[in-house]
Amino acid sequence: MTQNALRFSSARRMALMAGSCLCIAGVAQAADPLVKACAKDGEFVIGFSQANNAEPYRQHVNDELEAAAKAVPQFTLQIADGAGNVNTQTSQVDNFITQKVDLLLISPFEAAPLTPAVKRVMDAGIPVIELDRKTNGEAGKDYTAFIGGDNYKIALAAGEYTSKTLLPDGGEAAVLQGLPSSTPAVERLNGFKDGVKANSKIQIVAEQAADWLPDKAQTAFAAMLQAHPDIKMVYASNDMMAAGALLAAKGAGKSVKIIGTDGLPGPAGGIEAVAKGDWSATFTYPTGGKEAIDMAKSILLDCASSVEPTVTVDTTAITPENAKQMMGK
Amino acid sequence: MSEQQITSSSPIQPAKRIDPLAVIVRFQSLIGLVLVFAGGIIFSPRRHGVILFIQPDNIANIVRAVSETGIIAIGMTFVIITAGIDLSVGAALGLASVVTATLMVSGGFGLITTVLAVLLMGTCFGLVQGAISSKFRLEAFIVTLAGLQAARGLALVVSGNQYINISYGDGPGLAPPIFAVLGGRLFGNVVPVATIVFLIFACIATLVLNTTRFGRYVYAVGGNERAARISGVPVSAIKIAVYAITGFASALAGIVHAGQFNFGSANDGTGYELTAIAAVVIGGTSLFGGSGSMVGTIAGTIMLGALANILQLNNITPAMQLLSTAAIIVLAAVLQSLVRRREGLGR
Repeated sequence: MTQNALRFSSARRMALMAGSCLCIAGVAQAADPLVKACAKDGEFVIGFSQANNAEPYRQHVNDELEAAAKAVPQFTLQIADGAGNVNTQTSQVDNFITQKVDLLLISPFEAAPLTPAVKRVMDAGIPVIELDRKTNGEAGKDYTAFIGGDNYKIALAAGEYTSKTLLPDGGEAAVLQGLPSSTPAVERLNGFKDGVKANSKIQIVAEQAADWLPDKAQTAFAAMLQAHPDIKMVYASNDMMAAGALLAAKGAGKSVKIIGTDGLPGPAGGIEAVAKGDWSATFTYPTGGKEAIDMAKSILLDCASSVEPTVTVDTTAITPENAKQMMGK
Repeated sequence: MSEQQITSSSPIQPAKRIDPLAVIVRFQSLIGLVLVFAGGIIFSPRRHGVILFIQPDNIANIVRAVSETGIIAIGMTFVIITAGIDLSVGAALGLASVVTATLMVSGGFGLITTVLAVLLMGTCFGLVQGAISSKFRLEAFIVTLAGLQAARGLALVVSGNQYINISYGDGPGLAPPIFAVLGGRLFGNVVPVATIVFLIFACIATLVLNTTRFGRYVYAVGGNERAARISGVPVSAIKIAVYAITGFASALAGIVHAGQFNFGSANDGTGYELTAIAAVVIGGTSLFGGSGSMVGTIAGTIMLGALANILQLNNITPAMQLLSTAAIIVLAAVLQSLVRRREGLGR
């Protein structure tokens, strides 16, 4: 699988990067470490300010982050739920400053409102790694680093997979978009559209916003199938909407190829749906949890004086070929 | 009709005999606040012997975080004393934040014009709800539920489904830099400006409720509407006025919100109505109307903030935070109910 190859190369790149950081740290003794109290055998508290726990993807981020942190005995991870509210999240970030955590991880609910809070953290001498979503400003200066996936590229990969593998002979396709005006929704829509341009025989006959929600997706896709009975495939901008699309297709007694996004684990997630043959594919939106803890290790344990300011984590295509094997991970 | 008439015939005179439980309930929010702070100090994490909970920075965090819901709760106290309810306040905050951002950024309005326009808008929004409720004799619950939907819808229309960032500077598309003061702190960079707005508003509201004829009418309407009407209290006008006050308070909170976070969003303020109602109830104001105090509401607001803070400083899960808030609301309500029964008021 080309996507798997991509993923392995990215892992190797990470390893190389971490290695080179170590070398630099070893050679350039003069450069100050990002955290003065760094030490191999220290004890460190990492605070994670999550935008909102009440979404399956966000829970997945928490799970991966907790698993990665657990593997480092020196780290204690504290997660605060911003509850999708900038006021709550701001006060939680301030609380982390009060608690004097050693490093802050944050997925800001919105960019501008959390920007001053992140600045206060940086001013307090605490490094900030932003996960998945950014605040305003420059990586490496206004915050220490950004780690996340690239929504456009992930949707582009889904579009290309549709062009080459799912619908090589063309046909009618549909798109279920996320919450309008939110950046991931826009990027995923554009990425998919650009990806299917590779095959001129594919026509996107319907696209509607279903706000990331399965029930809205079911209703919207049922209506699409009424209006366009020849729809052969649907691209859902997240796994939950793909689940809704499946219900609509079953209700209409049609076999439609479905692509999800996020590649969530668990019984309600996309990986299992692909393994069962319900969907054709899903493309993981990486949490960056493992990469974030690796970066925290190099800052807190290895006394790195600098880290890569922007780390883009690649997607993995979950297809019938690898879904069963991915379930165990 | 004279004031004397109202006060003497008003059914909300406190019970003459002294009931220890009633004393506790009267001061429950202050007692609760002291208990929460004592608990906060005992259970506070410590760093090098320093109690983190009572650090000035931490106290500032607590009072800043509750400023917006506090402003709303102050308005809500008037409404609940009249035995009403306003569910539209959170959505009205979202609408106000969006309108504030839009007027200043794309409208090119100055600070004062924007603030006055948004406050006027909020007041009118509440006024209309109060008028509909009063004129058609509809439950405030239903009218303000519709108001909630209307405010969110309007906010989405005004904002064109976008988040509106506020940037500062001189010229078109930029807000006057002074507006950013709302997100800052004063007095040695400790006291949040948002909290100062909250406290000033609270002081004015306390004076209005405790010392004016309007305040006495509010209690009278909630205590016994029929008796109040017979005594010549302009019941409809008072009812409309209290919803105008919550509308004004929501708009003020929305301006503070936009100023604190430099943006306007149609979805902001979701759930604030419930936090505000919780603060009012914990503060000792009865949902059946006729009794309650502004000081109680302020204490209730800060108590909720302090509770969330201490749980979070100890990294206790959000689930526990919700459960402990629930326990406090139930406790406050049970205490009130016990007192009412002892006073023979039933329910």
